[in-house]
Formats: sequence, C-alpha cells, structure tokens
Amino acid sequence: MPPLLAAAAVTKSYGGVRALRRVDFELQAGEIHALVGENGAGKSTLIRIFAGAALADSGEVRFEAHPVTLRDPLAAKALGIAVIYQQPALFGELTVAENIGLALESGGLWRRIDWKQRKRAARELLSQLGSTIDPERRAATLSMPEQQTVEIAKSLGARARILILDEPTASLTEREVTALFGVLRELRRRGVGMIYVSHRLEELPGIADRVTVLRDGETVETRKMAEVDRATLIRMMVGRDIDAVFPKREVPVGDIVLETRSLTCPAAGVKNVSIAARAGEIVGLSGLVGAGRTELAEVLFGLHRPSSGSILLRGKPVAVASPDVAVRLGIAYVPEDRRRHGLVMPMSVAENVSLARLATAPGMRGLDFQGENGTAREYTSRLAIKTSSVATAVQTLSGGNQQKVCLARWLTAAPAVLILDEPTQGVDIGAKAEIHRLMSDLAAGGMAIVMISSELPEILGMSDRIYVMRGGSVAGELRRADATQERLLALALGEEDAAA
Amino acid sequence: MADRNHNLALAGMLALEMAVFSFTGAQFLTVGNAFEIARLSVELGLLSLALTPVIVTGGIDLSVGSLLALVAVTFGKLWRDGGLPLGWAVVAALVVGLAGGGLNALLIARFELPPLIVTLGTYSMFRGIAEGLTGGADNFSNFPPRFLFLGQGSFLGFVPPQTLIFAAAAVGFAWLLHRTVIGRGWYAIGHAPAAARYGAVPVGRRLALAYLLSGAASAVAALIYVAHVGQAKSDAGTGYELLAITAVVLGGTSIFGGVGTIGGTLLGLFSIVVLEGGLRLSALPSELTGILTGVLLLAAIGASSLAGRIPARFPMRRVAIAGGVLAIAGGVWLFVAMRPRGGPGVRRLVIAVMPKAKGDPYFVSCRVGAEEAAAALHADLIWDGPTSMDPARQNEVIEGWITRRVDAIAVAVANDVAISTVLRKARANHIPVVTWDADAEPDARDYFVDQATAQGIGYALTDEAARLLGGHGSFAIITGALTAANQNEWIRFIRERIAAKYPGVTLTAVRPSDDDRDKAFAETQTLMKVYPDVKVILAISAPSVPGAAEAVKQSGRGDVKVTGLSLPNMCKPYVHAGIVGSVVLWNTRDLGYLAVYAADALARGTLKAGAARLHAGRLGVVQIQGTDIILGPPLVFTKANIDRYDF
Amino acid sequence: MRREASVAIAWAALLIVLAFAAPGFFSAGNLRDLLLANVSTLLAASGMTLVILAGEIDISIGSMFAVLAVIAGLIARAGAPMPLAALTAAGAGALLGAANGGLVAGMRMPSIVVTLATMILWRNALNWATGGAWIENLPSNFQWFGLGQTAGEVFILTVAAVLVVALGWVLKNIAAARAVYATGAGAESARLAGIPVRRVVFWVFVWMGAMTGLAAVLDAVRFREVQSNAGVGLELKAIAAVVVGGASITGGRGTLLGTGLGVGLLASIGPALTFLHISPSWEKAIQGAIILASVVIDFARGAEARKNG
Repeated sequence: MPPLLAAAAVTKSYGGVRALRRVDFELQAGEIHALVGENGAGKSTLIRIFAGAALADSGEVRFEAHPVTLRDPLAAKALGIAVIYQQPALFGELTVAENIGLALESGGLWRRIDWKQRKRAARELLSQLGSTIDPERRAATLSMPEQQTVEIAKSLGARARILILDEPTASLTEREVTALFGVLRELRRRGVGMIYVSHRLEELPGIADRVTVLRDGETVETRKMAEVDRATLIRMMVGRDIDAVFPKREVPVGDIVLETRSLTCPAAGVKNVSIAARAGEIVGLSGLVGAGRTELAEVLFGLHRPSSGSILLRGKPVAVASPDVAVRLGIAYVPEDRRRHGLVMPMSVAENVSLARLATAPGMRGLDFQGENGTAREYTSRLAIKTSSVATAVQTLSGGNQQKVCLARWLTAAPAVLILDEPTQGVDIGAKAEIHRLMSDLAAGGMAIVMISSELPEILGMSDRIYVMRGGSVAGELRRADATQERLLALALGEEDAAA
Repeated sequence: MADRNHNLALAGMLALEMAVFSFTGAQFLTVGNAFEIARLSVELGLLSLALTPVIVTGGIDLSVGSLLALVAVTFGKLWRDGGLPLGWAVVAALVVGLAGGGLNALLIARFELPPLIVTLGTYSMFRGIAEGLTGGADNFSNFPPRFLFLGQGSFLGFVPPQTLIFAAAAVGFAWLLHRTVIGRGWYAIGHAPAAARYGAVPVGRRLALAYLLSGAASAVAALIYVAHVGQAKSDAGTGYELLAITAVVLGGTSIFGGVGTIGGTLLGLFSIVVLEGGLRLSALPSELTGILTGVLLLAAIGASSLAGRIPARFPMRRVAIAGGVLAIAGGVWLFVAMRPRGGPGVRRLVIAVMPKAKGDPYFVSCRVGAEEAAAALHADLIWDGPTSMDPARQNEVIEGWITRRVDAIAVAVANDVAISTVLRKARANHIPVVTWDADAEPDARDYFVDQATAQGIGYALTDEAARLLGGHGSFAIITGALTAANQNEWIRFIRERIAAKYPGVTLTAVRPSDDDRDKAFAETQTLMKVYPDVKVILAISAPSVPGAAEAVKQSGRGDVKVTGLSLPNMCKPYVHAGIVGSVVLWNTRDLGYLAVYAADALARGTLKAGAARLHAGRLGVVQIQGTDIILGPPLVFTKANIDRYDF
Repeated sequence: MRREASVAIAWAALLIVLAFAAPGFFSAGNLRDLLLANVSTLLAASGMTLVILAGEIDISIGSMFAVLAVIAGLIARAGAPMPLAALTAAGAGALLGAANGGLVAGMRMPSIVVTLATMILWRNALNWATGGAWIENLPSNFQWFGLGQTAGEVFILTVAAVLVVALGWVLKNIAAARAVYATGAGAESARLAGIPVRRVVFWVFVWMGAMTGLAAVLDAVRFREVQSNAGVGLELKAIAAVVVGGASITGGRGTLLGTGLGVGLLASIGPALTFLHISPSWEKAIQGAIILASVVIDFARGAEARKNG
C-alpha cells in the first residue's frame, strides 16, 4: 500500500540557513508515527511544509503517491491534513463553538451559520474527549489544557485523514494524556495517519508504531518503535551517548533565604501557601498544570499582589510590588513561556541579557554599551550559547539557546533566589543536561533555587525537597529520599493527605 | 539596519526636495529662510519629538493638539483674568500640561486601557474644556514683549529663541530614548510588553513617563505657540496631532512599536516643513503640500514594508532610488507646469492675496474678483492661505511671502493681534501691505479695503432681524465656529444694538455651525423645537444661511424667517420661496477686485500715503477716508433684486 | 451582550433625564430630524464596525465622504438619473476603499498610516479641485431623489434601516462576516484555519468605502446643493461610536447593535444640551468624557470579572 503522506528529498532554507536537507519521511494510514529530534533538528519545518504553511525549496510532498503542492493551509486542509500546534491557535474573542465551527464547517463564504447545530456539534465532540467545556464560553477564558482539548476536538470533528500533533502533551495532566491517547488509538483504528512530535521520549512506546529521528535537518533513520529503547533514541538524536540526565549534586544547605507565610492572592488563585527555600537548595514545585505553581511564582516575582500573608527574605518581610522590586530584592524568575514572557524576541542577545540588571539601575542612567556587550560575551561563552554575535536578535536562536540567554539575564542580576518555571520544556536533550548542571553549580554557589516542572523525573532528580501543589495550595511536602513518582502523583491528584 | 536604510532614503528625499526648491522657490536657499522655517516648525517639532517615544512603546497620543489649546487658554486666563504674574502663569501652564499627560498616563499605564481610545477621548475632552472655559470666543492677547520675544524675537538678529528650546528638547529626547535605561525600556515595551514586564522593566512607570513627557511637550509647545502667534484661543493647535504623527511615522518609527529614532523623526519633520515652505516660496497652492505629504508617507512606509518583505532580491536602496527618481520627475513636472506663463522679458508684478480660509464659499467668491483684477492689471496673483480659519497658518504664509519678496501683500486678517507683527516685518522689508475684509492694527498695514466695519455689519444684521420680527419677538443666531473671531465681534455689536434700540427684541440662543451647512441645518431644527417662539434665525456665516433656510423649509414652519450674511447665489431659491427674508452682504467680487487694485497701485507707487481717491478699473473712482478704502455700503438682497447679482 | 447593556443603560439614563427636563425632545418631529441627521454617521459607523472587527482602522472616511458627495453632485448635475449618481458614488467609494485596502492588505502597510495618508491626500485634492466651491444648480430631482420631502425622508430612513439591520443579521449569521471576526481575533490563526485573511481585509475596506459613498449620497440629497467641505471629523465620530458601543479596538469583538447604541448615545448629546439649555461650548468636553467613561467602565467590569473568575 502506498504511504498516505510522504516527503521525498525535501529541502528548505530560511534566509541562507538550511532547515531541512533532503529529508525523507513516510506516513501510513492507521499509523502513529513519532517524529523526534533535538530543537532545531527540523521537526517544525517539516510540519509546516505538511501543513501548507511553508513551501519546500526542492523535493516532493506526496499524498497517496501523488505529488502535491501545498501552497497554503487551505490546500492542506482540503486533503484532510489537520495540525495541532504546540501553542493552541484559538480565537480568544470567539466562543468555543465558533472556534470548532470555523475549523470544521465547509461551504461558501455566503452560507448561513446554524448556531444550534454548531453548539450541538461542539458539545458532542468535546464529550467524545470526556470534556465538559461549555461551547458558549469565550476561548480566552479557557485554561491551556482546555484550549488543547478544543484543538483536538477540532481535528476529531474534521475527520482528518492525517493528524499532525506538535507536542500535544506538553501542558496536559496525566489524566488528560491518558484520555488523549485513548482518542488517538481510536483514530488509528479508523485508519487515520498521525505524526506525533514529542520531547517526552518516555511516552512514545505507549503510543507510537514507528519513529523517525531527525538531526540537523536530515533524516537519521525510521524504525519500528518496539525495536528501539530510549537510550538508542537519544543516541540517534544527539549522535553521542549522554550521561545520566539529572545530575544534582549534594551540597551543604544553608539558612532559609525565601519564605512565605500563608500567602494568599485570589487574583492569581493562590491560597494560604507557606513554603521555604534555603541557600544551596533546589526546591521542586510539583503538581498538575493549573495547580497554581506558576501563579505562586508570579506572586513571588511581584506580578500579582498578595491579599494576605507575607513573603520573607532572609527572615525579613518584604513587599514585592513589581518585578523590578523583586530583582532589587534578589528574586529572579525564568518564566515558562519563553517566546511571550521570557525574552524580547526582536532584541539582541546583549540587550536581552542586560535587561534585568537595568531594572535595578536608575532610569536616567546612561547605557554602557561596551560593558553590556562584554557581559553578554562573557555569559555566551560561560553557558555555551550558540550565536554568531551578541548583536544577533534572539528570535533567530534555537529554543535551547534562547533559554540559556534567559538564564544568563537572570544570572547577571546575581539573585539570592532563582525561580525556574519549566526550565527545560521544549529544550533539546543536550541543552537540558547543561541547564541541569548549571542549576547544580548555582546551588553549590549558595543560591536558593525554586524549580517548577511537570516532568516527574526532572523534579525527582533535581530537587532536594518537593512541594506538591493542588488547587492553589500546598498539598504536601516531600524530602528527596521519600519522593517517588507515585507519591507525587497521589498528592497532586488529591488521593493522599498531606504528608510529613 | 532597516532604520539606517530608511533614514538614508529619507535624507536623500529631503536633499532632493531642497534641490528642487532651490530652483523653483525664490530665496529658498538663504540662511534667513532656514531659520524662519525652523521657527515655524518648533511647535510641531516639539510634539513630534514627544510622540516618538510614545509610538516607540507601541502607543499613540492623539490628544497633543487639544492639550496645546487647553494649556494655551488656561495660561491666558490665569494671566489675564486670574491676575497671576507671568512667571507663575508659565509654571501653571506646565502643571496643566503635566496633568493632561498624567490623565493619559493614568488611564493607559495604570488601567492598561488602549492608548488610541483613551487619547481619542482626551482629544475631545481637552479641547472641549478649552472651549468651555472660554466659551470658544475668549481670545487672550497683549502679552508683554519679554514673553513674546520667546516666539517672535531673535538672538544675534537671526536665531529665533524657540529654536534653542527645540534643539535642547531634541538632544534631551535623543539622549533619553537612545542612551538611557528608560529608553531601553521603551523599546522593550514596544517590541513585547509582556516580555518587558517579565524582564523586570517597570512597564507602568516607563509608559507613564512617555505620556507625561508628551503632556509636558504640549505645554511647552503651547507657550511657544502663544508667544509666536501673540494670542491664546481654544482653537490653537487644531490638527497638530495628525501632522506630528505624520512626521514621526515618516521618520521611520513603526506604528507597531519597538522601532524608531529621534534622528528619523527630525528628518521626517524637516521633509514636511521644507516641502511646505518650498511649495509656498514656489507659489504653489498649499493643497499640494497635503497631497505630496500623503504621497511621501505612502512611499516611505511602502518602501520600508517592501524592503522588510523581500530583502534579498530587492534591496531597499533600489526602492529608495526609484522613489527619488519619481520624486525628481514629479518635482520638475510641477515646476514646469506651475510656472506662471508671462511674456518673455516683461517684469510682472507679483501680488499675494490671502483669504481667511480658502475653502470658505465667501472667499471663493472674492477670488473670482481678485483674478479678474490681476488679469486686467497683467499681474501675477498668488492666492493662498489656510484651508480653515487658522491665524498661526496665516503668519506662516506671510513669512513665506516676505522671504519670496512678493511685490505686494493683501490679507484678509483672521486675527489682528496675531498677524500684525509679521505684517510690520513685511513693511520693514518694503513690501506694501493692504488688509481687506478684516483689519490688522493700523500701523501694520498701508491701507484697509473697508467693505464694512464689524459695527456696521452687526447693526445692519440686527436691523434686518428686527424688521422681520416687526420690532417685537425673539430670534436666534447660527454662527460659524464658536471660536470664529469675526462672528464673535459681530455678535457683540448685535447685542449692543438690541440693548440700545430694540427693547422688544430678545436674542434667545447662539449655536455654532462650524461653517458646515449640515450642522447649521441640524442646529436650526433643534433650535426651532426648543424655542418655539423664535421667529427669526439670523445665520451669520455663508454656509449656514442655506442650511438654516433648508431646515425651516423642511419643518414647514411658515412663521419662521431666516436672514443673515451669505452669498446671493447660495440663497436665491430660499429668497424666492420667501423663507429667507433678506441677505446682507457687500459685493464679494468687487471686494477681491478692489483689494488687488489697491495692492497693485501701492506696489507701482501710484497710491501714496494720504491719497483721497483710487482709480480701480471697472469700479471707477473709489473714495479713501484716512487709510480706509471704501467699497461702499453692504447690499441687502431681497426677492426684488437678488437675481441681478451673480456671486 | 453585557457590553451593549451598559451603553444602553447610559443612553437610557440620558433619555430619562430628558424625559423629565425636556419632554419636547421626544416629539415625533425631533426624533425624525435626529434620525435623519445621523443616517450618515450610522452608515459610516456600520462600515467602521467591520473595519475595527477586522483589527484595522480607517481614518480617511471623512475625506472620502466629501469627495464622494461632490462626485454624486457632479454626476447628478451632468443629467444622470439619481439612482445612477448614487450607485456611482458608492462605486467610487468602493474604489477609494480598494486603494486603502490594497495598500493595507497587499503591501501589508499599517492601516492607521495608510488611511492617515489618504485622509490628507483626498481632502487636499478635493480642495484643490473645487477651490471650495459648492456644487450648485442641481436638477430638481436631486433633493429627496425627486420623491418630495416626506417620501424622501421615509425612503432614506428605510434604506438606512434595511441596510443596518441586514448587516447586523449578516454579521451574526453569514460565514463571510464571521471570517471578519476571526481575522480580527487572530490573523495568524485565521490564516491557519484557511481564512483568506488578506482578502478579508481588502474587502472590508472596499465595503467601508461603499458605505461611505452611500452615506454621502443619503446625506447630500437632503439639500439643494452639495457642499465641498462635508464630513470633517466623521471618522472620529464613527470610531467613537463603535468603541463606545463595546467593540475591541484590537479586533474580533463587537456588534452592530452596540455600534447603533453608540451612535445613538453620542448623537443625542448635542441636541440634549440645547434642550437642557446648556452652553454648546461644553459639548466636546462631555463627548470626550463619555468616551473615557465607557472605556473606564469596561476596565472596571473586566477587573471585576478577573476578581471573580
């Protein structure tokens, strides 16, 4: 049987940078085909070409053995290709029903819209996914996983013959992942071909049939999933063996640096949180997405004002009115959403690195361009940031390098407390290990680190202590020795009472 | 990089403009002209400088022109009515500017409301408060010379004081935007507000500062404006916001934020100002400035947008050169096409005549007479002026004429205080000056072509209204703009006349029409319902008579009559229908005709000081009383005689 | 709906004050005059609603309005039948709109800059061409389309009402109009959903132009002559009405009902001041305050929602 969708010797360059070089790829009907590779390996570009969002420079895209030219997303849609991007692309101002309707309904521009039918269809699709989202809610009011669910409902309804999922589980809870996998298996039974992009290698054996590895814009190999183990995959992706992934070293732990007492902020959904972090310690914040971890970090960083409770730094209560106050106090925060929050994408590496330090300088102070470039150069070499120069705009760097620039920014502020929110999400394996090593070094240097992560192995491997959050409050605290994936999950899901 | 390309292209365009104008415009390339052009651009320049950081942050401030007016009138009011010493009035003015900017800052930076809407609201509100405080009519003038020096004087004989303030502001803003922590924050906010916030940029404070500075710049610009024009009125700075935004955007600042430089803004500003000044010196109509500014804006932004999209194959430079070549071709074409075609070797006199507002039908009709006279005298007529009532703009045009060394100037004065200084300067440069339609201060001109005094008009209108009322009852006035100086003067005499002569007549209401026929129509409709006992509508701007008459006609109110001051052609159908009882006006064609004849005679030396009569072509011998050239009494057009006039 | 409700309440409050202080405001004659006087603003604001929904803005409509009224007058004076004059004006409006739309959608230039340029351009070109002169000596079938006053008024109001109601229905129920919402709510997402974003933007400007042309004709036929300086500030009136009516200036949110209420509220202020014997010199200040109040209220409600949500 000819493949449903194939790329043959596809090449694509962006402004002189080659993103794909003679890539071959085949997707069969009724197959879940994992696509893996480090950031910058070319996965996104290949997806864009299949989605009609980019056009290959040379090579062929074949649909059922026929060469096709996908000039725009419409052309891809017409062939039954649906894409679920990592960042859900919903219309915030429109209702869920209309979002689904816009994706599903075909017909002319002048057709009349049947609102009742739309709502019914939306509710039906969502219930197939086990979701009870109200179809009349404005999409802007949905949480990230809810948005993802709507996206999947869209492709479910589109009866897509080909479904491309770009990191679909990145912001889903375990339960939602299970539900999603159920749906994907059902789609596979119906003969849908799926391309499944993920950094979470551990979830692949449970869902994928075959796996293709890309490296530096080239196809390394396509294998049956059952034939490869995780170590092999990693070796194929990086082209070399990687040591143990999470190397937190034991270092002497000092005094309490950061402490909160009954911290409450209704606007952020944080309730009665009391935690502490000591110098030299990495404190993990675990919990499901939406449990209030990011929100807690944002309160600590002055992005929301607490209504009651207190924040103490080295035992003294402080009022963190805004991020610049936080920086002055010695609190730094590397946010989860790198593109929107972490970096000013069009600005240069040097400008991004210096931003946090400028926050503590008086506004009228003149800029020291030489000092700025010097600092940036120092950190690019220290963190091994791959960039042609410090004047390069950060938007041209790969995800891992961008994350390192963001880290560099906060390191220049020499904080006493460093809060990291999903520091390795969407970062390739090589960079991930480097970031982990850096965290260990910083802790050894006496910094208190608070790390939010949804990846249980990361939390377990890196943290000295772990707070598990649920519904905006701390559900429990575990020491490293006591922590297991099962206990973390149980606390996060509310199936175990607060321990220790 | 894109910045630099844009600035290069713009600098090229500016150089080109100057090259073309040095050929087409008399006296264009002189130091004096350069400083005059600089003087004229200071107010606009200050607003443009302050708008640059605002737009760099991705915001906009539409309220700067209105705030300028509010500051100007509060300054005037505090000084004149409040009895504040000048120094304290200046301080108070700056406080008002900061308060206005502060309101914008509060709503935008603290409440995070969209700048476009907030400043659209304050745009309306600031000017509204200025109008409310002064009733639109109050005009503050007679400021002491030491204050006027700021706007009208010069250091070393040629450096206007306000240009020094402007230079300091330009350096200050450039330093702030490009060299400081604050400026870096502005750029970060413009690129990505959320990322700036997470990057510990104090976004609220930085944004607030940008809008506060904008308010402060409006205040300084207001003081300079008042000193420059010599008066403070609530219509000051109308439309400046759009001109300033045009300059900033032309200078390469992205309306989406994150990109832009003070250098670019200065280039953008000078491109517009040089264009305007150059066209004026080339005796090309001022509408061309608008047309070319629009084209320039589209070309510049279009080129940037093209360059941003296809950098590899189609470099910016080629676009810029193509644009430049087009501009050269256009400039040369204009030069050739617009040159007056006189016989070779014959020295023709150049007579420059200015209406109060070019678009006003009244002055459109005067122009016909002026052109007739110029043709008869074999003189070249320059007919130019503001497109709407704008005293500051009148000054600028005359400055241009002085630089150009026209042979005579004839001005319909929009505001006597504002214009007299520049007219004296013209006379000092041996250019004879005639005023017409409305007078300047007597020592600022040689002769005044007097069609009727404000008193005469006011009294005649009152007499007509009283006659239609039968000496008893109430009437209402539809005026031009609330700020229109002429009409406000007439209304003063109308009230005076009623008080003195018509005890049975009451003036019930005065409503504005903004010289818009449709608005006069709507206002009249409302007036008739609110005041059913109003039996006469006195419409005292040319477009408002047909507007009021149409409203009366459509209402079917046979008991209401319209009278007023307008052109016979506009009113004929209503006069014949009996809705308009009568229209008062002098012969506008003859007025334009006589103004040109008087100017011509002065320029040739045939009309000297102390003359008693003037030979004015088809008008025959015209009497002169003192320095007033008398056109003759106003005409009253009625059913019986209106068909005899065609203007 | 909530946002429309607050405009409706504000308007109702004003009307209640008038009902007590100046019942004459509600006379049939006054209401008719008020409606007729605001037909042009209503049509322009309807067009503007689409433009703002699509995430764009058009500040050139005041200048276009003047140009198109003059065009309609010239064609009528040349002896063409009135329907033809009206259609030509709408068509010419569509062309001017296409110029804006082409530059915005085709060249991807920011709409505020493009229409700022065309605003300056058209107004000055018109002044140059006419020298400020009005179009006089129009044939007798120009005023009221030759229908006479009463029938003419009914006709104008009917055309406007049918257009606005139809557009309101279309905005809610027709796929093409929903594409406008989607474009304004997120252009990139809309593109990925297969919506031809640039074509949508282009046609929205064309529509804006056509509506402006129609507004110009319906306004001009109430008189015997066409004035050449019409429409100054129309763009600000229209934008203010749309925004007061609850549309988001960044696109994607807004309804025609809200715009209608916004036009009604802002249009009532001027006459209301006359009826309440308040000096006209405060009108602008009050309008500005209402615009500010409407955004501040929106903000306050948003803050409330954030707190509860």
